[in-house]
Amino acid sequence: MTVPHPRIAPLGDGALTITWSDAIDPDIEIAVRRSLSAIRGKFGDQVEVVPGYTTIAVHYQAADWTYPSLRDALTPVLSHPGETAESTIGRLVEIPVRYDGRDLEFVAGQVGLSVGDIVARHTATEYRVALLGFVPGFAYLGPLNPALILPRRSTPRPRVPAGSVAIAGAQTGVYPADTPGGWHLIGRTTAVMFDPDRAPPALLAVGDRVRFVAED
Amino acid sequence: MRIIRAGGLGTVQDLGWSGYRSIGLPPGGAADRTALRIGNALAGNPDGLAGFEIALGEMEVEFESDRVFAATGAVGTLHLDGSAVPSWTTVAARSGQRCRLAPDRHGRFAYLAIGGGVDVPRTLGSRATYLPGGLGGYRGRRLAPGDHLPLGPAGDTVRPGTTRQASTAVGAIRVTAGPQERFFAEQAFETIAAAPYRLSPMSDRMGSRLAGTPVRAKRSASLPSEGTAVGAIQVPDDGQPIVILADGPTVGGYLKIGVVITADLDRFAQIPLGGEVSFVWVALAEAQRASRQASGNLARLLSEIRTTAP
Repeated sequence: MTVPHPRIAPLGDGALTITWSDAIDPDIEIAVRRSLSAIRGKFGDQVEVVPGYTTIAVHYQAADWTYPSLRDALTPVLSHPGETAESTIGRLVEIPVRYDGRDLEFVAGQVGLSVGDIVARHTATEYRVALLGFVPGFAYLGPLNPALILPRRSTPRPRVPAGSVAIAGAQTGVYPADTPGGWHLIGRTTAVMFDPDRAPPALLAVGDRVRFVAED
Repeated sequence: MRIIRAGGLGTVQDLGWSGYRSIGLPPGGAADRTALRIGNALAGNPDGLAGFEIALGEMEVEFESDRVFAATGAVGTLHLDGSAVPSWTTVAARSGQRCRLAPDRHGRFAYLAIGGGVDVPRTLGSRATYLPGGLGGYRGRRLAPGDHLPLGPAGDTVRPGTTRQASTAVGAIRVTAGPQERFFAEQAFETIAAAPYRLSPMSDRMGSRLAGTPVRAKRSASLPSEGTAVGAIQVPDDGQPIVILADGPTVGGYLKIGVVITADLDRFAQIPLGGEVSFVWVALAEAQRASRQASGNLARLLSEIRTTAP
């Protein structure tokens, strides 16, 4: 598809949103990553950028920018973002998983596959980190194998243990901390997704490629 | 410093984080930043030290060294060893004295700034407590009776100061439109401006939930998750808006019809649970002017407090 030129709109008086599309699309995600690298390269710490699936939010200080001045400074960068290795290839991160999640049998029943088939499909895909959010270090990974797509649980659990590997919709992810959660738990990992004393604190960054590796 | 009673939602807060939204850590910090900053100035502290944020009930603390302190924000009553003492004022406490603060029902968050500041370890540069991720502050959690909190070194002689309570000006909260303006008809903007909303008791430091006339989008819609901002007015399918506060999510899929202007965020955060809120739409340029003016006014006030002779 042809990637459309993005729209810019204010997100209050301290941020703006750059929007490529209202629907998720792999080409749009590439455009977002390219522009993300370009904005970070050009503006450094002057602004704070937050990627979404089809958007980038840019937070700024009123002392440094007005909305029109920042919009005008961003426009040429968005027209010619250029290419970087970070935006095109991405880093590969492998995450070891013990597939013994408490929802594994339920998921198997719902999608009509054996547990072995679910593990095979979940480990076969190389996922991309589209964005982080929900809690620090939670990376939204996709796209999930279509045979594994299920709606979220109708009632979220009040507490999902840190390290739980989960699926919902066309996404998969790992809970970095004990939090409430509505995704289906299929396994757990010992990988530390978020550690404030580590640099960088989040194991995954936008644009990373992720592969889950089954452990016995 | 020993916690005798912690209230329902007592936490250590400073001015929070910046630069970590893209890994999912919101700005956090004091819900009413102006109140904490004035408290620090009155307590002889540099800007940005950590204090106690007090909500949903009384907090009582015991001093273990001689310190000055100041209570600001939504303070109802303030006592030192049972004697009433003024809020928004520098007060001297001796080791062993107990300070009891009851929040005001006409507000939501009170602050206790203590000379030297609350000296918990910094997490990613901040001492703020981020409850949803169990991070920062005192062991990543709300305060509880029996907790023992270290204080930083107290400054030299503090010039006692007092200030009028920062404007709790009644009046509508100013909001700017966007970024999902185009998903709403003119009537939705009129609804928000016309109808007063009530702050639901379900509100917390992540978001203020509003109850009132439903706001309807042109069609039911959610977005692929995208960056949000503190003050963003999210409109879920039931039409009851949720306004993001300091600990709110960094990304979300709800339509955002508008955003509370920076200059009114602290005032908005102080609207009590069950209290009424009304909104007025303003142009972005006016919001940016108001924001610069408010930060200029606050800088002048803080500098006056710090230079006032006894």
